[in-house]
Amino acid sequence: MHQPLTKRINNFITSFSNLNGLILVIVIALCLIGMLAVYSASLNMEGSFFKKAFGRQMIWLLLGGLLTAAIYFIQKKLIYDSAYILYFIGFALLLIPYFLNTSVTGTARWIHIGSFGLQPSEFMKVLVMLTIARFLATTSYSNLDFKFVLVPTIFSVIPMLIVLRQPDLGTSIIYFGMLFPMLFWAGARVFHLFVIIAPLLSIITAFNFYSFFIWVILMLLVLYFTKEKLWISLTVMLSNLALGFTTPFLWNSLKPYQQQRILTLFNIEADPQGAGYQVLQSKIAIGSGGLFGKGIAHGTQTHLKFLPEQHTDFIFSVIGEEYGFIGSVLVLFLFLALLMLCFYIAYRQKDRFCSLCIIGVTSIIGIHIMINVAMTVGLMPVTGLPLPFISYGGSFILTCFILLGLVLNIGADKQY
Amino acid sequence: MYISHNSISNLRKNFLVLFCILIFSILIGRLYYLQIIKGPSYKGIAEANRVRVIPIEAPRGVIYDRKGQIIADNKSQYNVNVIPYELKRATLADSVLSAILGINSVQINNRIKNNWRGQFIPIKIAEDVDFKVVTSIEEHRLDLPGVIYSLEPVRSFPTRVRLSQSLGYVREVAPSDLIRPEYQEYKQGDFIGWKGVERQYENILRGSRGYNFVQVDAFGREIGRLKDRNNIPPIPGNDLFLTIDLDLQIYAESLAEGYKAGIVVLDADNGEILSIVSKPDYPPELFAGVVSNSVWNELLSDSTLPMFNRATQGTYPPGSTFKMIAVLTALETKAVDREWSVRCYGQYRLGRRIFKCWEQKGHGRMNLHDAIVHSCNVYFYNLIRRLDLNEWANMGKVFKFGVETGVDIFGESAGVMPDVDFLNRKYGEHGWTDGNKLNLVIGQGDILVTPIQMARFSAALATRGKLVQPHIGLKYIERQTNQTFSFATPTDSIRSISAETWEYVENAMSDVINQGTGHAARVRKAAVYGKTGTSQNPHGEAHAWFIGHLKESNQTIAIAVLIEHGKSGGGIAAQIAGKIFNFIHQQYTMQWIAGNAPTLN
Repeated sequence: MHQPLTKRINNFITSFSNLNGLILVIVIALCLIGMLAVYSASLNMEGSFFKKAFGRQMIWLLLGGLLTAAIYFIQKKLIYDSAYILYFIGFALLLIPYFLNTSVTGTARWIHIGSFGLQPSEFMKVLVMLTIARFLATTSYSNLDFKFVLVPTIFSVIPMLIVLRQPDLGTSIIYFGMLFPMLFWAGARVFHLFVIIAPLLSIITAFNFYSFFIWVILMLLVLYFTKEKLWISLTVMLSNLALGFTTPFLWNSLKPYQQQRILTLFNIEADPQGAGYQVLQSKIAIGSGGLFGKGIAHGTQTHLKFLPEQHTDFIFSVIGEEYGFIGSVLVLFLFLALLMLCFYIAYRQKDRFCSLCIIGVTSIIGIHIMINVAMTVGLMPVTGLPLPFISYGGSFILTCFILLGLVLNIGADKQY
Repeated sequence: MYISHNSISNLRKNFLVLFCILIFSILIGRLYYLQIIKGPSYKGIAEANRVRVIPIEAPRGVIYDRKGQIIADNKSQYNVNVIPYELKRATLADSVLSAILGINSVQINNRIKNNWRGQFIPIKIAEDVDFKVVTSIEEHRLDLPGVIYSLEPVRSFPTRVRLSQSLGYVREVAPSDLIRPEYQEYKQGDFIGWKGVERQYENILRGSRGYNFVQVDAFGREIGRLKDRNNIPPIPGNDLFLTIDLDLQIYAESLAEGYKAGIVVLDADNGEILSIVSKPDYPPELFAGVVSNSVWNELLSDSTLPMFNRATQGTYPPGSTFKMIAVLTALETKAVDREWSVRCYGQYRLGRRIFKCWEQKGHGRMNLHDAIVHSCNVYFYNLIRRLDLNEWANMGKVFKFGVETGVDIFGESAGVMPDVDFLNRKYGEHGWTDGNKLNLVIGQGDILVTPIQMARFSAALATRGKLVQPHIGLKYIERQTNQTFSFATPTDSIRSISAETWEYVENAMSDVINQGTGHAARVRKAAVYGKTGTSQNPHGEAHAWFIGHLKESNQTIAIAVLIEHGKSGGGIAAQIAGKIFNFIHQQYTMQWIAGNAPTLN
């Protein structure tokens, strides 16, 4: 901290001459593509410039840039130290919408500040990641006991359940999903990961006899090949079987409105014109783009509002329609390059916390991309996750830029 | 900062990297499938998504008579449509609209519900409304957002002419017909000529539908015209000229009013139908637009069969008019001498059966000529016993009785021309006797003819063997090229009959008018020929027949008149024929006075 100013400036510049520079170029490219797509999607909106999605997107991106810069200059030690405290603050914020009772469209997601609404659950993604990273940093790679796997799971599952109740399936998937790459990276045994994921699959498959049957056989195979102690294997097997068998009864004992509440999880945005309308229109838009696309602001499906949620969750279909196969593959390559760079930076880190942080960031961004694109092209059910750096959205953009700030911060190898 | 050592294994890093690459490969593969492989098909769907095609009905071709007077025209019918979304926003709209249209709002809502195709897609709620309704909708425009009217061409009939069954009508194509290959050019909601001329000349009269292309958004709201596609204007159908003489047609219809009648007036030289009447009929306006069920049921359940074309579909025993076949057979086969005579006592005994002449007192001594003039049955009973039945039947077949004339009016009956084979089939080889022959020779029994067949027969007698093809289509003018096309009609002639025979028959038919049973058909200073007929039938009074022709300087007009239950051919049938001849003759007289006709007989 007592270096001369010139040295500090020099350090700052050299930090961008390495991989950080590449990451910034990629992110800026993605943001520009995103702005074009949001511009296109918001052409038919009414209102003044800053009331439209495009104008607001510019404000959010500027704010995001500032946030990235701020995060970049924060000391890593400070981040490490405050991780747990921030987690509990975030946890409290997550609960606030329930007490404020100012829900938008019946969901308790938002905290309103002026005309802007903030979603605590978005920022919580970062905090869950930091907490897990900090906890895992205290463990050692070679000897990761099951209790060291269990604690991060609890860190992620509790906010996940709160968010599920909002209901927000997409965000809860992120909370839970980032756990696995991080644990895997930290050195957790595959069997332990299996034990965590097994109950979830038991519940999901239990609704259909055949799927449950296949799942049980899979479980037996995994237990056989992992060669755990017999009593552990038996416990895992029996508890999962019990869970599977009781699930249908539990489901039937729920009141219809409770069942409905769970079902709405899987269909968050009301489907205006029958099942599968959104995905169908999205596929039509992307498919009709062809090789070269219809050109910027020339997408007919986009402009005639056939696409639902076109500037947020379905922004990728705007890209598919207007920029064609070439444009959408370019976007995917940019994303893939970003993820690969992150993997490389994480691998290169000497510090376990820093490495895990980067892997956490990579997981959050990666899961967003994969699920969003997969749902837009009709490979997955609609879960409502936006596309990082491209989709319109306030809290989400800020979260993405916080994550970017973390990557740049850690990747810079700063001396101070 | 150094909290603990990062010691990630290379294997685990590579696993995560490969996992990422795998997922991205799947996504890119999916994009390839959607955009490159399925791209063209999705392009089509996207296009259909945004383009609404609004069909514009083309008017059918106008139907004229031979002189260019309009028989069937087109008028625009106003329909009232509503856009549900806009209508719902206005509070007053329901009550105002129901007051204007005279239907209550429940009915309006039902019609909207039954034809629902989307918030922003217009729905037809009233058809063929008065122009007053349109103006009052315009007056209440502010209270009636989303209420629009559209124009649809329908048939109109500017004169009092009926010609109902022969013109036929148009109707909406039935969904069950649309599957069949001959209707592949038609779409749901199209109108198609279904009977008579409208059906026969469907290809000429039918216009081709136009289309407007409108860009719509996902809600079906119209955004504007498509920039990359031009509207296709509708092309009206071609104009069709009929051989009908409109004035004569109206006059003939007025003569037959009140009777059940079939009348055909032909130009004997070329088969052009100058007039074709079938009474009772119905006002053709009934079928101008969509026919209501009540009108339809009323027409179908009417016991006088107004939908039935008596002139082409009605089959009747021809009565004494058919004696001409026996006359021709006798003269040609020389089975009897011309002066061969028979004494008529008013009846003829065959075995234990008595066959009566229509004149109970008897005609006295009759030769062939007198027998025609006075239509003596007893003479023909004697004559047919000297003739071979098949020779007689062949003579009938020469004039193409028993087969359809092929007239270009959709829906025609063939009638029956019995011969030996026919009787053998029907009664068994020994089941019929000379009694059947006796009935046949005076046009009774199994023989059935249509008025149009009789008109052609009459024309053949008038022209000494020209066997014309009766037709109603004269020509049409192609809309796009303005070229006129005439319809080719084949004409046969009968060569097997000698000139003397024709001469003889003509003289006899002239005397039928001047001295005999056809007296009522006489026209002063005009050459009229004819033969009457009265045919018994089990349903009531006898049918009255008259066939004959009028010779003008350059034209021969043949006629066949049938009056169902008209009692006697010499009565009402001959009177009507006489009036029609007189009407035509007057026209010639007027033309002659004006200097347009060469000579006047």
